[in-house]
Amino acid sequence: MNRYLAWAAPIAVVGLVLSGCSSDNSTSEETTSATGSATETSSAPAVDPAILDKAAADYKAYAQSNIDELQRVVKVFTDAVRAGDLAAAQAAYAPSRVPWERIEPIAGLVEEIDGKIDARVDDFAGTDDPEFTGWHRLEYLLFEQNTTEGGAPFADQLDKDVADLKAQFPSVQVTPLDVANGAAELIEEVSEGKITGEEDRYSKTDLWDFDANLQGARDAIGKLNPALVKADPALLGEIDAGINSVFDTLAPLRRGDGWVLFCTEDDPYPSPRCPEVTVQPDVIDKLKAELAGLSENLSQVAGVLKLQ
Amino acid sequence: MTERRSGLSRRGFIAGALGTGAAVGAGAALAGCSSPEPAPAAPAPAFVPFEGPHQTGITALPIPERGLVASFNVLSPDRKALTHAFRELSDEIRALMAGRPPEPRDPAYPPVDSGILGEAPPPDNLSVVVGVGASLFDKRFGLADRKPGELVTMPFLANDRLDPKLSHGDLSIIIEAGHADTVIFALRQLMRRTRRHLVLRWMIDGYARGIGAGQVSHTATPRNLLGFKDGTANLDVSDDALMDRHVWVGPDDGEPDWAVGGSYQAIRIIRMFVEFWDRTRLAEQEALFGRVKSTGAPLGMTDEFADPDYASDPDGKRIPLNAHIRLANPRTPETEENLILRRGFNYSRGFDGAGRLDQGLAFVAYQRSLEKGFLTVQRRLKGEPLEEYILPVGGGFFFMLPGVVGADRYLGDELLS
Repeated sequence: MNRYLAWAAPIAVVGLVLSGCSSDNSTSEETTSATGSATETSSAPAVDPAILDKAAADYKAYAQSNIDELQRVVKVFTDAVRAGDLAAAQAAYAPSRVPWERIEPIAGLVEEIDGKIDARVDDFAGTDDPEFTGWHRLEYLLFEQNTTEGGAPFADQLDKDVADLKAQFPSVQVTPLDVANGAAELIEEVSEGKITGEEDRYSKTDLWDFDANLQGARDAIGKLNPALVKADPALLGEIDAGINSVFDTLAPLRRGDGWVLFCTEDDPYPSPRCPEVTVQPDVIDKLKAELAGLSENLSQVAGVLKLQ
Repeated sequence: MTERRSGLSRRGFIAGALGTGAAVGAGAALAGCSSPEPAPAAPAPAFVPFEGPHQTGITALPIPERGLVASFNVLSPDRKALTHAFRELSDEIRALMAGRPPEPRDPAYPPVDSGILGEAPPPDNLSVVVGVGASLFDKRFGLADRKPGELVTMPFLANDRLDPKLSHGDLSIIIEAGHADTVIFALRQLMRRTRRHLVLRWMIDGYARGIGAGQVSHTATPRNLLGFKDGTANLDVSDDALMDRHVWVGPDDGEPDWAVGGSYQAIRIIRMFVEFWDRTRLAEQEALFGRVKSTGAPLGMTDEFADPDYASDPDGKRIPLNAHIRLANPRTPETEENLILRRGFNYSRGFDGAGRLDQGLAFVAYQRSLEKGFLTVQRRLKGEPLEEYILPVGGGFFFMLPGVVGADRYLGDELLS
């Protein structure tokens, strides 16, 4: 739920002008290419605005096609719930989230959609709060209570909310800054919610989301590629390498077309689905460092492209 | 004050494995203070120099009020990356300790400086010191043959219940400053600069009260959270010869060349069962420590800084033989080589599942030899009756990198090159 706030944060930063810092205090060598241009306070655009506008338009189209896909895979999931097929519903849960997780920050610009379909129980007084709907309400039912009983209304609601998203998204304005922030926000999502296992605490399918967030960040940066190639190819190289290194770290956790369940040491959300640790502490540490480095680099993109 | 100071200096003994050590410079802190008043003002906050033969924060005076220990796992993929990480870390510490002000930046970027100290960080006695743990010398970076001789992962010692989430690490960083916001500022800057390489393993922060703690109290020996003065007989950090003898690794110590000028650091997170303690009879509390609670004087005496004179009390009639101060420092010629420099702080971090306050001491000690220093003292303390009231729950052994002099130098350069 605090995604809304997090999304707004980079925009608020624009007002904080002078608390910046010299390159001596810059984040690291990998970003000096970015900070090198930092002290310039030119109003001239870093790249041709047409290139940036095309990036925004392409990204909107990308989000739109993911929403189309979302509607389809969610229906597979909700149909299984309505049919009372527990195994099929459990199997369809994680894949039904993938297109959403790729575009979550930008789709979240549709008012209240995130709270309706992707809020966690922590945002409510309890699991029986009638406001608690969406994927995680169904996740609780399917994986914690091991039943589909009582799930149909939530399945119907999820379909309806996704349809609303699809209907409203065309009117959302997507700016180049949204694309840059979208990429950064997806990595923040992973660092805050996925690596802690809190997102999919009942199903333990966090790695499906993790992977989708990463894909979404890669694709958003892909749209900005023509602009970044011109403005700061070194930063672009660091970002691409950073994304690839996270994918590489994840690769051994692949199982078929899915992932191992996210079972960590000292899991704050213990589950019978996790009889043993599947993601070792050293892998978690590695991911933390890689994601943090990537986040620092992504935080420079708006500055490099002079997006306001 | 002068009398007190020389007393400290002359005796130069430790009081044991508990103590913040903040009393260490009870007079030395006044060196730069010409005020003749009986309760002189604390010295003005300053920028602590970064460069020196030793890391300056280990002996800097005054000891500021706020402290933080952070332990990190190092994720650098190889030696080259590790070297880069240490360069970055050193450069940031250099900038932070000098109060290097931030520069304006294009508002399209996030401000790199958190801004919590405003446009120009004020002098606040900020110091940052860095140590390396035994695990840094494993296979990852090819440093195995450079490990300091006594550096090991801290073993479970008497009475320990070490929480893995509060113990050990590849790297220790201690930040001290006059105010909490300065400490937080430094921590955030350091982490931001090294995020690709350093992942937090554990952290604890707290306060030291004593030197520099305020207008009135800055010359008083601080008290621990059991209410006893702690650090009465700490080593005098202004005595260079004493530091050379007990704190700094020397060229003839059989340690690797790069380690000369460094020091072994023992960190112990010692939980204190304060509610239980507060229900204990004063007579028993004093017998456990061997000191008068109110004055800090050895039992049977009135002056805090008096020698406990164990020779006159061979059977422990005045100060029990198993009293903390007597075990920690028997004050014999043979035990003089066990003296260590303490520089820790008290902590308070909420409460446990039983509703008991989680308070205690982040004990930090520096010594030339872990074996002769902390480990020997700890062996003497094993089984002391005070153990009933305290529980070591974390910490670790680290080796403090030697200091550096020169703009092109960085902490750990001789270890890594």
